[in-house]
Amino acid sequence: MALALEMKGITKYFSSTDVQANDNVNLTVEAGEVLALVGENGAGKTTLMNILYGLIKPDSGEIIINGEEVQIGHPDDAIKHGIGMVHQHFKLVPSFTVAQNIILGMEPNKAGFLSPKEENKVVKDLADKFNLPVDPKAQIRDLPVGMQQRVEILKVLLREAKILILDEPTAVLTPQEVKELMEVVRDLAKMGYSVIFITHKLIEVMEVADRVSVMRAGKNVGSKKVSDTNIPDLARMMVGREVLLRVKKDTIQRGKPVFEAKDVSVSDVHGLAAISHVSFDVHEGEIVGLAGVSGNGQTELVEVISGMRPLDGGKVFLNDQDITQANVRDRRNAGVAHIPEDRMEVGLNLQTNLDENLIISRYNQSEFSKFGFLLSKSIHRFAETVVNSFSISAAKPGEDISMLSGGNLQKVVVGRELSGNPSFIIANQPTRGLDVGSIEFVHKTLIEERDRGAGVLLVSVELEEIMALADRILVLFRGQIQGELEAKTATEEEVGILMAGGKLSDLVSKQPESGKESK
Amino acid sequence: MTGFFSVFTVELLNSGIRLATPIILAALGGALCNKAGVLNLALESMMLMGAFVGIVAAYFIGNSYLGLLVAMAAGGLLGLLFALLYHKYDVDLVILAIAFNLIIQELTVYIMRVMFGNVGSWSDPSISRIPDIEIPLIKDIPVLGDILSGYNIIVYFSWAITIVMFLVLYKMKFGRHIRAVGENREAAETVGINAVRIQTMALVISGVLSGLGGAFLSIGHLKLFTRNMSNGRGWTAVAAALFGANHPIGTFLASLFFGVTEAFAVRIQNVTDLPPNLVELLPNFATLIVLISIALREKLRENNARRRFRAELRAEEQQNTAS
Repeated sequence: MALALEMKGITKYFSSTDVQANDNVNLTVEAGEVLALVGENGAGKTTLMNILYGLIKPDSGEIIINGEEVQIGHPDDAIKHGIGMVHQHFKLVPSFTVAQNIILGMEPNKAGFLSPKEENKVVKDLADKFNLPVDPKAQIRDLPVGMQQRVEILKVLLREAKILILDEPTAVLTPQEVKELMEVVRDLAKMGYSVIFITHKLIEVMEVADRVSVMRAGKNVGSKKVSDTNIPDLARMMVGREVLLRVKKDTIQRGKPVFEAKDVSVSDVHGLAAISHVSFDVHEGEIVGLAGVSGNGQTELVEVISGMRPLDGGKVFLNDQDITQANVRDRRNAGVAHIPEDRMEVGLNLQTNLDENLIISRYNQSEFSKFGFLLSKSIHRFAETVVNSFSISAAKPGEDISMLSGGNLQKVVVGRELSGNPSFIIANQPTRGLDVGSIEFVHKTLIEERDRGAGVLLVSVELEEIMALADRILVLFRGQIQGELEAKTATEEEVGILMAGGKLSDLVSKQPESGKESK
Repeated sequence: MTGFFSVFTVELLNSGIRLATPIILAALGGALCNKAGVLNLALESMMLMGAFVGIVAAYFIGNSYLGLLVAMAAGGLLGLLFALLYHKYDVDLVILAIAFNLIIQELTVYIMRVMFGNVGSWSDPSISRIPDIEIPLIKDIPVLGDILSGYNIIVYFSWAITIVMFLVLYKMKFGRHIRAVGENREAAETVGINAVRIQTMALVISGVLSGLGGAFLSIGHLKLFTRNMSNGRGWTAVAAALFGANHPIGTFLASLFFGVTEAFAVRIQNVTDLPPNLVELLPNFATLIVLISIALREKLRENNARRRFRAELRAEEQQNTAS
């Protein structure tokens, strides 16, 4: 097939951070092809795509579209040459309707006056043409994330893009929405569109892509047909060494309960139940995986357990002590560690240095402060210990952390939270947005903590992560525990049906041939 | 009607509408800026600038209507300068507004002193006030005619511009782009909308309207300039835009509320023995209450929702233990 896009010798050096982001990168995409672009954080994928989309000017290199060399200095040029980008963080106006968002900037009008009827029709026709049904009159803020993404895709298609860049499109989607997106991408390819699919998740590469290009340290280290490669092979190319995709985990005897939630209920801002009568416990030497589609009460439950949100009913216990009324600091002093969901906003203060970030949870201990003055020497020593024991090679004591990659930032959070030998660890989406190498580190560390005897509550929307780490699986659905499974015998299918709000009995009765005995 | 109740008359509404006019104009400008996502706390300075430049221009040109136009231009220029400093030199919006408000307050007094030798206030017999106009037909309607007619052109303009702003914001392409920039600037920019241009225009328009509002004070309502003539009306306008949820109609009504409150305070002084200083505080007090209630509204709603939820839980428990 004909080449839709060819990038030749793209080189970009950022002098401000001394990073060779792209080093003589070559990339080709055929018409009607899905190209997966994979690589660790900081490998240069985003820079390469921003160059293609006209957001960054390369130092050298050529961009050839349909056989002709083009100059792209601005996103407008990219759009003119048929390149469209669906950003990871959607660029939509929440109070506008679907139609208003899709048509924004190119509204049909008479003397400046809009015609909502015509707008809705244009959008409806577009949606029909690509078989991507949307309600033109629905407001964006009322739509689920998957539908918002569809609006973004339609927005790009209305601008007559032939080459679509999807930047980590599955990061925010539910498993069902991921499935639908995959179909949409395949359909677009069938219609002759080219899709560049940026992702961390190798399983998605195998599912959706025709070809894959792997980037590492600013270079394209290889492009292969998906049929000629496999996940371990791609992981090796990405990281440059062998990676354990599924970390080794021995079975160990669990101890006494370390954390217990009894009949916990919490309301949301509208007075409706976000968490309703939830009871469970976590034992020493055990990882309890809390699975569930995001938005089913995970955030609220974690906030209640960590002490950030008062509960409305029920009690929580730590080592048989009632900590329902205890504040965050009391809970931390009693041995609770919390790896929050959002490392940029909640987990870290990016405006200060590594040392202060590491002692933020213990700055008032006599080891680090006297009479209200911080003891910088012992803080510095502590920072060095943490950096060494968690091998946060990129971070240096006393220096800013704002330039660190996502994986290294998460190492700082993990290092701080786990360095006090906590007895109970809440890990909320601890690998979200991380590359395989960093995921391996986080997983290994959590298992080490378990083996040391800590109880771990792992909250994750990634089914694979739950299956790989948990000893026991709880599924949260609409603020309630929908079911509990022993990880050893549980199948992905079983967890999946509970996540969707179904019952295990549904699975057995509808598909008797795929019961538990099949494994 | 005698005594206390005589303050509630058609004249109360008349003076309320007059007192509301400068607030309406500045508040609409403020609301427009909020819609475009650029906080304009310099309304006070733009208004004061308009009041001063308006009367000075009317004096030198010898025509008060032209004075209004010059006041609008001066306010607009101030808005343009504000936009330039914000967009080009990246000055913080709040710091910029504080600087504008302080500088214009001192600058008007300084120029008044240099040009006319007066410190506190200045006027000249040659300056004429903008005349009131009766609207044909409407003026003959009983009661309503007295309420709706008999004002000067600035008052009518403030009504018209409220409707125009509503149409532009919600029915026209330009208005939709303004709202897009204000709500998600990146979304607007990725589809090629020039956010800097839109925010600059909003700031200029707010300057023009505030300048006109200021000129209403010096040559529309009275015919003199006093130091700090805007006297906090620009800040009341900021509150009115907030109170009116940045919607043109809501902002208009909120401004009218503040105007009528002020008129009420003026009138009540004539019929009660309350200390006049205390009564003059009434509009400020109304503003304070409105601002606090805006801030508390969301919080109270959440607290009530939570209390309801806990009560339901307890009821459920009791039922369980009973059965």
